[in-house]
Amino acid sequence: MNENLYINKSNQEYDAIVIGSGISGGWAAKEFCERGHKTLMIERGRVVEHRKDYIGENTPMWQQEHRGQVDNILVDQQYSIQKQCYAFGNTTKHFFGNDRDLPYQTKKGTDFTWIRANQLGGKSLLWHRQTYRLGEYDFNANKLDGYGTDWPIRTKDIEKWYSHVEIHAGISGSKENLPNLPDSEFLPPFEMTSPEKHIKAKFAELFPDRPLIMGRTAHLTKPTQLHISQGRVQCQARNECHAGCSYGAYFSTQSSTLPAAAKTGNLHIAPNSVVHSLIYDEKTNRVKGVRVIDNDDLSEREYFAKVVFVCASTIGSTQILMNSKSKKFPNGIANSSGVLGHYLMDHNYNSVSSGDIDGFEDEYYSGRRPTSLIIPNFYYKPDPKRGFLRGYALAGGAYRKGWQSQQHQDGLGVEYKNKLKQAGKWAFGLYAQGEMLPKFENQMRLHPSLKDKWGMPQIEFDVRFSDNEKAMMEDAAEQSIKMLKAAGLKNVTGHPNQGPPGLAIHEVGTARMGRDPKTSFLNAFNQSHDIPNLFVTDGASFCSSAVQNPSLTFMALTARAVDYAVKELAAKRI
Amino acid sequence: MNNTNKTNLADNSRRKFIRGFGLLVGCSTAATLLTGNAIAVAMSYAPNADSTLTNGKVFTRAQLLQLEKICSIVIPATDTLGAAEVDTHGFIDNQLYHCHSKKVQHKAIAMLTLLNVEASNHFSRPFIELTSNQQYQLLNDIDQGKAAFNKQQRSEFKFLKQLICFGYYTSEVGATQELRYDPVPGGFKGSIPYKETDASWATSTLFS
Ligand SMILES: Cc1cc2nc3c(=O)[nH]c(=O)nc-3n(C[C@H](O)[C@H](O)[C@H](O)COP(=O)(O)OP(=O)(O)OC[C@H]3O[C@@H](n4cnc5c(N)ncnc54)[C@H](O)[C@@H]3O)c2cc1C
Ligand code: SF4
Repeated sequence: MNENLYINKSNQEYDAIVIGSGISGGWAAKEFCERGHKTLMIERGRVVEHRKDYIGENTPMWQQEHRGQVDNILVDQQYSIQKQCYAFGNTTKHFFGNDRDLPYQTKKGTDFTWIRANQLGGKSLLWHRQTYRLGEYDFNANKLDGYGTDWPIRTKDIEKWYSHVEIHAGISGSKENLPNLPDSEFLPPFEMTSPEKHIKAKFAELFPDRPLIMGRTAHLTKPTQLHISQGRVQCQARNECHAGCSYGAYFSTQSSTLPAAAKTGNLHIAPNSVVHSLIYDEKTNRVKGVRVIDNDDLSEREYFAKVVFVCASTIGSTQILMNSKSKKFPNGIANSSGVLGHYLMDHNYNSVSSGDIDGFEDEYYSGRRPTSLIIPNFYYKPDPKRGFLRGYALAGGAYRKGWQSQQHQDGLGVEYKNKLKQAGKWAFGLYAQGEMLPKFENQMRLHPSLKDKWGMPQIEFDVRFSDNEKAMMEDAAEQSIKMLKAAGLKNVTGHPNQGPPGLAIHEVGTARMGRDPKTSFLNAFNQSHDIPNLFVTDGASFCSSAVQNPSLTFMALTARAVDYAVKELAAKRI
Repeated sequence: MNNTNKTNLADNSRRKFIRGFGLLVGCSTAATLLTGNAIAVAMSYAPNADSTLTNGKVFTRAQLLQLEKICSIVIPATDTLGAAEVDTHGFIDNQLYHCHSKKVQHKAIAMLTLLNVEASNHFSRPFIELTSNQQYQLLNDIDQGKAAFNKQQRSEFKFLKQLICFGYYTSEVGATQELRYDPVPGGFKGSIPYKETDASWATSTLFS
């Protein structure tokens, strides 16, 4: 163990600096440390210690302040945007960014919800842990319809790195051999309920190209010896993960990558260190280090390293890159292509549907399953007749109605109380998770005058869902209704929604990879085309959003990039 | 319900968590969890038998007494305590004040006023002075949008019922005695038998 894990000032030249401690940064630090590289992880927020700082964990509703809801005044003053996130509540609010301190702008007539988690662990503490590989159809999509730039990688380049991260992180799921969704290295899947099995069978019969499978999720359904040696144990199915999990049963920086990195003795962490910009040396064309503003007292300091990995989340990373200006790069460091900040994408979760299931009255479940089911994208092959490009997945599952949905019915007194006591009818819901096209005009930029309290220029978003995304969600509602009706559900309803971009919290694309330095920021190894010792391995590097939840791919790309960087360092090319 | 009692109940659930946790990862780390969660517990609403003795944060004392009565009619005591016994009225007063807008607070007050006005119109007395049967009849009418009540009033009453249900089923009695709550299920089973007399699960996620 490293005695002095946390540092403040240091003149040492590290082998590697990793900016950010979320899913991407955690992986970068672990991989560098395990390869014997002295690594400094720089995190703008406070330290969150595994177990000790999960202050909302295991507090049943009656023990929570306001039974889990959050005080008005606090919400109005500090969380007016973060409150839009479904996971925002009394047991989780301390893991969300503070909107008062972290202002941002949206271009008039546009809307963007930016959910932040600025602390050690980043959004890895708050995520929903859905984990899916990208497949060959996803990597080919841009090339086929001409939107965005072609991914410079294919499945063969990344599959071994998916395996590498999956074995360590622990991913539960079922092997399916689907053409559009490669299997992972799986721990056992969560169980389906009986009505779910029934609907799965119905869909298999009526819509054989739309299989309903168990959600794939970074939970230890059956920990391996490796996980146990990391101090992680089996998932207890509490479904309270967003508050933090002392069992270490879901993947987070704290449960998984940080202990592995710290164990090597090669890791240092500089918390409360807001990276303002990168220090660029024009003579050597290298990034020498980073300029940091102290999160608390706003003092300045610098850190130095041979190689810099920017892993501050898609938007956070791009903000730092844009704010790193020099004579050679007046529009953001390594931005000779001019694409930095452009092609911002999110997912589109704007269609819901549901219906009631008859029967199964003698069936119930026990435990709170922390994942739903999914029908992977069934529009993976382009078809001009469809009326829109790309596709969507449908996620959802069956539930037996409880007091939450039965309370609205008529009734009073003993009869009403007894009715609410019982489990109600089974119902089944589906929501869509759609791909967003990469478009130059969807962008973030630095505001010319407005700054935050650390002196960082505020971000201005200029992002819209296009007609393609809208048509896709209409189709999703229509198809969902059709499928639920065909499967025999009653009272089926469904409709498209109008949620703003950002709210899927799957931002990607603002420093994209590509083969051509003129049209892309990074090469196939997440290395800057312009500056060899600069890497960006989070979602900023994406060429298309695909349909899958993106974070597993951040992990794999990061591990792969470190492997490459380590070799390049050894060969003295960087 | 007094405070000592509450602390004991709260401790029980946490002890179960820590016992389970201690078995899995070793007792010494488990102990640190106690300190962390104590913060949340100290801030939670403590049911108070005296909440109708003074004015509340949103409601007057008279309105609290009226709401207490409504709570006891909507969710009465059976073989478990009812909404009034666990101070759902006091909880609603506190919750409205902290977590709902002024507009919603006024809506809740207006609902109590409306019920009083209709009580006077029909029975020439305020709601609280009606017989139990009259009170039930009035609430039943508004719940179904019958007699003097229109559709909008019906839906506003449903909102009040919603506050009562939230207060009751997220209370310790509501969640653990009336319904079923398991802090540490130990895993997910997709199929277990269910019969009509079984209680449903109080929660499915952290959020409801
Ligand atoms: C409620 C919720 C549910 C989600 N569900 C899923 C899901 O099911 N599946 C999935 O794949 N994804 C999901 N996501 C998204 C997922 O959390 C993110 O994609 C992932 O965490 C991104 O990893 P990252 O390391 O790139 O960024 P983050 O995890 O956001 O970490 C970035 C870190 O960098 C730090 N940082 C930022 N700027 C600076 C700076 N200037 N200086 C220093 N440090 C800085 C931040 O404080 C933060 O700690 C979800 C997110 C949320 C909030
Ligand atoms: S469901 Fe599993 S991972 Fe989530 S909090 Fe419970 S034990 Fe932890």
